[in-house]
Amino acid sequence: MAIIEVNDLKKVFGQLEVLKNISFSVNPSEVVAVIGPSGSGKSTMLRSLVHLEEANGGSIRIGDEYLVRDGAYSNAQQIKAITSRMGMVFQHFNLFPHLTVKGNLELSPKLVKGLSAAEVSRMSLELLDKVGLADKADVYPSSLSGGQKQRVAIARALMMNPEILLFDEPTSALDPELTGEVLQVMKRLAGERITMIVVTHEMGFAREVADRVLFMADGEIIESGTPDQIFGNPRHERTRSFLTRVLA
Amino acid sequence: MSISYLWDITIPMLQGAKTTILLFVLVILLSIPLGFLVTLMVNSRIKPLSWLANGYVYVMRGTPLLLQLLFFCFGLPMLPFIGEYLVLDRFAAASLAFILNYAAYFAEIFRGGLLAVDKGQYEAAKVLGLSRWQTLTRIIMPQMFRVALPAVSNESITLVKDTALLYAVSVPELLHFAYTAVNRDFTIVPFVVAGVVYLLMILGLTLLFKTLERKFKFE
Repeated sequence: MAIIEVNDLKKVFGQLEVLKNISFSVNPSEVVAVIGPSGSGKSTMLRSLVHLEEANGGSIRIGDEYLVRDGAYSNAQQIKAITSRMGMVFQHFNLFPHLTVKGNLELSPKLVKGLSAAEVSRMSLELLDKVGLADKADVYPSSLSGGQKQRVAIARALMMNPEILLFDEPTSALDPELTGEVLQVMKRLAGERITMIVVTHEMGFAREVADRVLFMADGEIIESGTPDQIFGNPRHERTRSFLTRVLA
Repeated sequence: MSISYLWDITIPMLQGAKTTILLFVLVILLSIPLGFLVTLMVNSRIKPLSWLANGYVYVMRGTPLLLQLLFFCFGLPMLPFIGEYLVLDRFAAASLAFILNYAAYFAEIFRGGLLAVDKGQYEAAKVLGLSRWQTLTRIIMPQMFRVALPAVSNESITLVKDTALLYAVSVPELLHFAYTAVNRDFTIVPFVVAGVVYLLMILGLTLLFKTLERKFKFE
């Protein structure tokens, strides 16, 4: 059974229809890349999954619980339980500037899950090691490069043991020479069979790492398929023209 | 002018400075939390609460502190029916006026600090499962205070000097003793001494805030 199922998702900002009847599903351990021009609703779609945006209609099912069903949201407590199964990595990192790297990782497991300081400390050092930043545990985010900040943000999301990781353009705010280190970490996570949805402009990453690619434009999913299909033999004219532009 | 004369006029002034400092500490300790509460009310989604807080800020910032002091010390007891219950100790009444006045200014300072916190901070906290209260106290407030610190420092310095307004409601403090000595001895030396005492207090305060700013630099 799909771990994420989205049906007829709608979102409007004022007069603007940002999402028009979006439907798709994601299987456990699948890595899905979402590509498309800016303003196509990719980020809004992703943010709806963790309730950072409230949908105006449609359904989102995570596991066997509905975050929203035919436009009706679950109660606050259920929403919290459902969204806690997902972690999110933002384009602008959103690290907490007043906490050290370790503090960033440990705050939520301590406050939300009530884990002991020793347990949390062990986890945070292990995850920092995993993203190659064990030596940065005690510094403040302001002293890190963009790539390092994003790796810390990934480690912070992993601290909550999410079943699903959502990435909202994780490399778009980075200098080109720093995207590699972040993509490397994401590739490793994909290898560990964690379910991932990645909104990205990195076509190389989508092609190489994703199991499936969704192409979005104007609030709709125009085309979806394996990377080979989408990049090698796109069926839809809009997919073709988008790819010609970005790959040129 | 002898050293012993300087000593003789300085001692009462330092006695007076105790009142100055007591008022300062009272006002800082009470008006900062009250100001933050007003900030939260201004930002509240409950409209009447927000209107009330905005009205409060408008009145407190829109009228002279001296007027408020006179009102609390001499005006309240004149109110019909309830006036007789509002005859407060002069210092207490003055402190109340100061606290309510400064809370309005601090509320505006904190509101500015809140605006400086990126909305991504709220989103990250939400996705990590923090409650609204946890987000406010653990994520937003520390960053807000950091941004607000220079303005709070500035406001505190203003407060030290505003304490001289106690003179107008006859609560003896630093300036009162200086002026008494000036009138008695017909010399401006006590004014100079008073100025030096104010400067020393401001110096201490400036150093304290510089230390705080360094401590909360997050680097």
